[in-house]
Amino acid sequence: MRLVTRSAFLALIAGVALAHIAATHGALAHGPTPQKVDQSITIAAKPDAVWAVVGDFAGIGTWHPAVARSEGQGGNASDGRRRVTLKAGGTLDEGLDEWDAAKRTYSYRLSDADLKALPVSSYSATLTVTPDGDGSKVEWIGRFYRGDTGNEPPEDLSDAAGKAAMNRYFGDGLKGLKALVEGKVTP
Amino acid sequence: MICKATRIALGLWLAAWLGSVPVTAGTVYVASQQAGTLTRVAPGAAGISVGPAPAQAAVGPDGLIYLTHPDRRSVTVVDGRTDAVLRHLAFAGQPFGLAVTPDGASLLVGDWSGDRVVRISALTGAVEGSAAVGRDPAGLVIDRRGRLYVADRESRQISIVDTATMVRIATVPVGVAPFALALSPAEDRLYVANVRSGDLSVIDTQALRTIATVPVGAMPYGVAVSQDGTRILVTNQQAGTMTVLDAAGPQVIANVAVGRYPEGVAIDGGTAYVANWFSDSVSAIDLTRLVETARIPVGEGPRSLVVRTSGGDRS
Repeated sequence: MRLVTRSAFLALIAGVALAHIAATHGALAHGPTPQKVDQSITIAAKPDAVWAVVGDFAGIGTWHPAVARSEGQGGNASDGRRRVTLKAGGTLDEGLDEWDAAKRTYSYRLSDADLKALPVSSYSATLTVTPDGDGSKVEWIGRFYRGDTGNEPPEDLSDAAGKAAMNRYFGDGLKGLKALVEGKVTP
Repeated sequence: MICKATRIALGLWLAAWLGSVPVTAGTVYVASQQAGTLTRVAPGAAGISVGPAPAQAAVGPDGLIYLTHPDRRSVTVVDGRTDAVLRHLAFAGQPFGLAVTPDGASLLVGDWSGDRVVRISALTGAVEGSAAVGRDPAGLVIDRRGRLYVADRESRQISIVDTATMVRIATVPVGVAPFALALSPAEDRLYVANVRSGDLSVIDTQALRTIATVPVGAMPYGVAVSQDGTRILVTNQQAGTMTVLDAAGPQVIANVAVGRYPEGVAIDGGTAYVANWFSDSVSAIDLTRLVETARIPVGEGPRSLVVRTSGGDRS
C-alpha cells in the first residue's frame, strides 16, 4: 500500500515535471523519430565534370541558388567544415564525416540547428555522383529530425514542415547544379 | 582431397561443437517506423500493422514483443506466436528505449524528452516507479539481475538503475551521444555505441567504469554481441557499414558494406541482421565469411530488430 501511494505521488510529481519539460525542452535537441529526404537529378555531363563542381564541400555557394555564401575550413578532409549563409536568412554550420573522390561521394552533418535556415533540429546527409548513360546522376539524401522534437510541435516545426523544407532545399540545389553544369543558367 | 564446402561445413560443425554456448535459431523481427509495421524478416513476409511510427522493440521471456511509439505516447504489445496485436499501453511521455524485466512482468521505458525511465506493468501499463536519468535517454538494456543501463544521449553518460527500487545507482561517462547498448553474454561488459564521437565504449559492469574506447565508423547507431561473446557488431549509419570487432582487445577485424543508414543490428545463430533505415531493407550477414548474403525488402524505415526464441530474447 505504501508503495502504491508513493508511486501515485511520484507519478503526480512526474506529470507536473513532464508538463514543464514539454514546454521548455530545447527545440534544438535530437529527436526520437527521424525523417527521410531523398532527391536526385540527371545531368548531361560526365561524372568527373559534375564532381569537379559539386565535390568541393565548401563550394556549395557556386551552385546552390538558395545560398548567399559559403565559407570553408579544413578543405575536404574528414573534419572539413563549411558555414553556409542562405539568401533567405540563417546559417548552416556543417562538418564532413567522409569525403571520397574515387567514389565521388561525401557525407556530412549539421552541427548546430538554425531554425531560421531550415526548420529541423539535426540532420546528416550524403551526396553522390554516379554514371548514368552518357551523363550523370546526382543523389542527395539525408536523415533529419523535426524542428521541435517534442510531442506537440507547432505546425512550422513539424515533420511535414521539415520534409517540405529539406526536400525543397535539396531539390532546388540539384536543379541549380544541373543548370550550372549544363551551362544553361548561372545561379 | 576435401572440397571447400565440406571443409566449411566441418569447420562450422567443429565451431558449434567446441562452443560452450549452443547456437539457437529464433525468429527475427524488424520494426519499421515509416510503415508502422512489425515484420518477420523472411522473403515475402507480410507486416503486422502496429500503429504509427514504432521506434524501438523488445521481447519478453514469454515471447511477447513490445514497441514504443514516441509520437503517440503509447507502447504496443504483440503476441510473437500468433502475430496478433494484443493491446496498446498508454504512456505519459515520449516513450523510446525499452527493456523487459527478467520475469516479463514489467517494462522499463525511457521517456526521451522527460529525461527519466519509467517502470510500468507489462499487462496494464500502470506506472510502478520512475527514475530520473540524463538528457534524452536512448537505448536501454537490462541484465538478468534486473539492473538497467541507459544511454543518456545528450549527457554523454550511461545511467545505471536498480529496477527493483527504481534508484539510479551510478553514472559512467562515455563518448559523445551514446545511443545503442549491448551486454556481453556473461554480462561483465557493456558495449556503448557513441554516435557523434564515432566510437565504441567498453564498460566493466563490476567496476562501473569505461575500460576501452575503440574508434568504429561514422555515426554508430546499433550494437550487438555474438552468442559466444567473441564478436561485437556495430552499425555505422553515416558510413553504410557494419563493423565487426574481436571482443578480445577489442579490435576491428572487418567492415562489411550494408544498405543506407543502417541502424538496428541483431544476431541469430551464425547470421547478423541489420536494419537499413533508408534502403527499406534488412541485410543478412554471414558471420563466418563476413559477407552480406541477402538483402530482404521490408516496410519503410526499418530501425529496430529483435530475435524471439523459445528460451528468451536477444536484440
